[in-house]
Amino acid sequence: MPYIKLNNIQHSYKEKTVFQDLILGFQANQISCLLGDSGCGKTTLLRLIAGLEIPQAGEIIIGNKTVTQNHSILVPPHRRNTGFIFQDLALWPHFTVYKNIAFGLEARKEKHIKDTVFEALHTFGLQEFAEKYPHQLSGGQKQLVALARSMVLKPEILLMDEPLSGLDVKRKRKIIDLIKNLKQSRFSGNDLTIIYVTHDHREAFAIADNIVVLADGKVQEAGSVEQIKNAKNEYVKYFLEY
Amino acid sequence: MGRKLIRHPLYVLTMTAFVFFVVTPLIYTLAKTFFVEDSFINNVRLLDKELFFLLAKSIILASVIALFSTITGTGLALLLYKTNIRFRSFFKIALLLPLFIPPYILAVAWKDAFFVFFNDTSLISSYFGVILVLTTVFTPLSMLITGSALSNIDSQLEDACLLISDYRSLIFKIILPLIRPAIITSFVLVFLFSISEFSVPAFLGVNVFTTEIFTQFSAFYNHSLAMLQSTLLILICILLLFSEKRYIADAPFLSMGSKGAGNSCYDMKKGKILGLLFLPGWFSLSVLVPFTTLFVQSFADGTTRFIQAFELLVPAFVTSIGLAFAGAVLIVLTGFSAAYYQSHSRQGKVINFLLLIMFAIPSTVYGISLIQFYNHPVFRFIYSSYAILLIGYTGKFSFIAAKLTGNAIKQIPNSFDEAAQIAGISSSMRKRKILIPLIMQSLFAAFVISFIFSLGELGTSIMLYPPGTEMMPVKVFTIMANAPQSLVSAMTMIVLSITLLIITAFYFMMKPFTKKYRYALHKT
Amino acid sequence: MNKIHLIIAIFIALLAGSCETGSNVVVVYTTVDQIFSEPILKEFEKETGIKVKAVYDTEETKSTGVLNRLIAEKDNPQCDLFWSGDPMRSIILKNKGITQPYRSAMAKDIDPAFKDPQYHWTGFSARARVLIYNKNLMKETGIPLSIFDLTKEKYKGKVAIANPLFGTTTFHIAALFSALGDVKAKQLLTDLKNNDVIIATSNGDVKKRVVSGEVSCGLTDTDDAFEAMKENDKTGFVFLDQGGIGSLIMPNTLSLIKNSGHPENAKKLMDYLLRGETEAKLAKSCAQMPLHKGVQVPANIPSLDNIIPMKIDYDKTSKKLDDIQDYLKEWAEN
Repeated sequence: MPYIKLNNIQHSYKEKTVFQDLILGFQANQISCLLGDSGCGKTTLLRLIAGLEIPQAGEIIIGNKTVTQNHSILVPPHRRNTGFIFQDLALWPHFTVYKNIAFGLEARKEKHIKDTVFEALHTFGLQEFAEKYPHQLSGGQKQLVALARSMVLKPEILLMDEPLSGLDVKRKRKIIDLIKNLKQSRFSGNDLTIIYVTHDHREAFAIADNIVVLADGKVQEAGSVEQIKNAKNEYVKYFLEY
Repeated sequence: MGRKLIRHPLYVLTMTAFVFFVVTPLIYTLAKTFFVEDSFINNVRLLDKELFFLLAKSIILASVIALFSTITGTGLALLLYKTNIRFRSFFKIALLLPLFIPPYILAVAWKDAFFVFFNDTSLISSYFGVILVLTTVFTPLSMLITGSALSNIDSQLEDACLLISDYRSLIFKIILPLIRPAIITSFVLVFLFSISEFSVPAFLGVNVFTTEIFTQFSAFYNHSLAMLQSTLLILICILLLFSEKRYIADAPFLSMGSKGAGNSCYDMKKGKILGLLFLPGWFSLSVLVPFTTLFVQSFADGTTRFIQAFELLVPAFVTSIGLAFAGAVLIVLTGFSAAYYQSHSRQGKVINFLLLIMFAIPSTVYGISLIQFYNHPVFRFIYSSYAILLIGYTGKFSFIAAKLTGNAIKQIPNSFDEAAQIAGISSSMRKRKILIPLIMQSLFAAFVISFIFSLGELGTSIMLYPPGTEMMPVKVFTIMANAPQSLVSAMTMIVLSITLLIITAFYFMMKPFTKKYRYALHKT
Repeated sequence: MNKIHLIIAIFIALLAGSCETGSNVVVVYTTVDQIFSEPILKEFEKETGIKVKAVYDTEETKSTGVLNRLIAEKDNPQCDLFWSGDPMRSIILKNKGITQPYRSAMAKDIDPAFKDPQYHWTGFSARARVLIYNKNLMKETGIPLSIFDLTKEKYKGKVAIANPLFGTTTFHIAALFSALGDVKAKQLLTDLKNNDVIIATSNGDVKKRVVSGEVSCGLTDTDDAFEAMKENDKTGFVFLDQGGIGSLIMPNTLSLIKNSGHPENAKKLMDYLLRGETEAKLAKSCAQMPLHKGVQVPANIPSLDNIIPMKIDYDKTSKKLDDIQDYLKEWAEN
């Protein structure tokens, strides 16, 4: 029984149809990678799950709650207990690293915000950057801030939109390890389901438990890393060659 | 749709207020004039061939001014924002001076200057004169618009071109096409300003469409024809904007900074004498000539005139500045709401359209509309107080504030808001803590510009100011009639100094804020 | 939050500051230049304790503000008393049903020619249309004595007149049509045009051009002429056609506004302004000629007793104006 279920999703922007009757599920506590060329609908899928967009038809179920149904949002984004790492990271440029991480906690009126933030800074190796602004950080550091910002809110689902684009291999590795270890982190609560979007199959192979290959808004193949590697599907084979 | 409306209650409220307080009076008056007092057909019959001929002449005149201003402004902006020409910081500020005083005062100065230099004013009392004066007035506006676009160009694009070509093709093949939206915005805005400008052609004795409307009002007291003619004028403006809507929407209208970090500057090479002469040349023409004339005139009778001018203006200071301040606050609020609403809702387009109409409508028509609507016992508290002037300002200048803030809002990635949304931050908190700080510079620019425009607004104010009160522009204008030129010039100099002083004060008051949020200007 | 409070405070101050409504006020709209009218209104305020709320405008802007405002406010008048610089505007308001009759006792000895037969307006302190000239430039040609002289070859391109569509110039031309008849008047205008008469934007502009020497002479009002002579001693003026049709005399006029809020105070102010003392003040400040007998005036102010006035009926002239306006527009613009 998948944790996140998308049933018969239809979605389009103006003239262009993105999804026609999409059915897809993601297992709980796993890292699922959405793999596909740019424009295949990966980002849109994440935004639908997060509740940032409303599909024209179909329903989305998280856990046993229907969050989106028939062109209306039943559970708003901030009640879905998700974290979202945007492609541009969306760090607020006028806040320090500390404030970027603390902002969501402040809004929830949590206690011991300072301690929580410093612990997060420590976990992600950002202690020395607390008072720095995003533009003063390197690409990798920014990604860590974005991760920390999401994780302090203890999400049950983490949606990551090509978060590692533009990084060198070494840093990619480091962050991938960190992501893998997130599940053990005290910031993840009990469960953490990660959906990770990328167009790079090597990245996907390195971190994923499951992989979904998307093309033209359709699921081409879904399964474990091994299953994908041995897939018969022409598109998947073609895609993996590059 | 219903859900969306509830999502933006504050904006809906502000926009409803705008529609009710500002737009309804106009519709009420137009409907009354066209359909109640006389039949629409009878009105339309009044439009004759000559009128359309005059309209065509005005359109050509405004186009020429818009073209000249845009070319000159772009040229100046290239020199000031893309080269390391000497004293550019000085010129960037000094060249803006003509924007700070009312155009008719500049027209007076120019006419006097022509008389001193050529002993003849027939040359300036012509289309040439109108083009000259208005081009010098509006070129700074063009310069601001294209300048901000220039400082937003990614330097990599320029470097890529320079590797394979020379500066000439860099300018014509890369830079100018890149800032095309800004150039078109500049043209359209200057056109709109020029075609609705009345005081300068009236003073120089040139017959254009606005002076014709004025004649219908003031010589023939034919309100319905004047209203009908104004409607034609508005139609022209709307047509123009619709045809260029795409560009206007995308153009960085006076956007403040952003991405400026990657901006590059070029050495002024030898042999660029033309460029070197252009800057001081334009400075002499647009600033030195008229301002020296005003300055010399104001001292023609010694300092006594200054004292007299000061005494005359003192009672108007507090009122005018207070009103301009309050007006600017309302304008920025309306402009911001409209821009925000527009970027989040389809109905926003209607609002933009309404803002434009209020901006383009001639002052007299607007003034009369407000009188006819508000001069009613129910609205006594508005009509007999300064509120009527604030409504007047808000109607006239919110379009500009909306353009300024709208562009800033567009430059903020949606993900900033969405990231906060997912983190559970409320909509109002997102606006207060994320959106507004990030567009603070543009809001401030909108505030200062609205303040300057409100402080100098004459056309509507003179019809609306409550009996027994005093306002600076009205006072200068009514004193102008029988006062010696030295007194008028002295008053102008005082008004100019006060304007500059207040802007400087605002700048320093705002500095801690803009400094705090300067990070917003860097690429993240 | 302090800033928000400050902004709210400014708004409240602005609204409250202007809203003070007492019954002991009078609202006056005037087209007489503020520099001359304001001191007189202030003295009234001081003497009577009645607060005067004034809206000023200027002939230089063709009084659009005030007149269009009065017309637009017709259904709910805010103004109590209209003080005009010439009878024409009062007549327009009368014809639009905006004024009401008031027969002031203070105007008893003013010539009935300067009063509306139904007392919708009452004249006082008058100006006249004159020709001002630049003495230096007039040495060779000699000073014209009749408006017809201005069509002579020797004045070609040297005469200025304000745009005849507006202000006292309109009234002057309408008076010429009344006095001369349509045929003769049109001929005069055609001749002037053929003699390259310069059309200035306003009377003030005529004055400015004469003083600067841009033109030799121009038609304007006595107040402009005196202002010019104050500024420089090379300017002179002359009453034209003293041997013929005479000079146009234009009194200030006062009209009570119908259904206004403070009619009693308006009458008090009107009575006050119609006193000889006001005329004396206006004679001193802007060279206006008193209509009351025996008012003390500075020596250089001409007396109406010594001027041959153009004999016109103001009401009829105003009607004439309606008839010729299209013609004047054509004349001025082409």
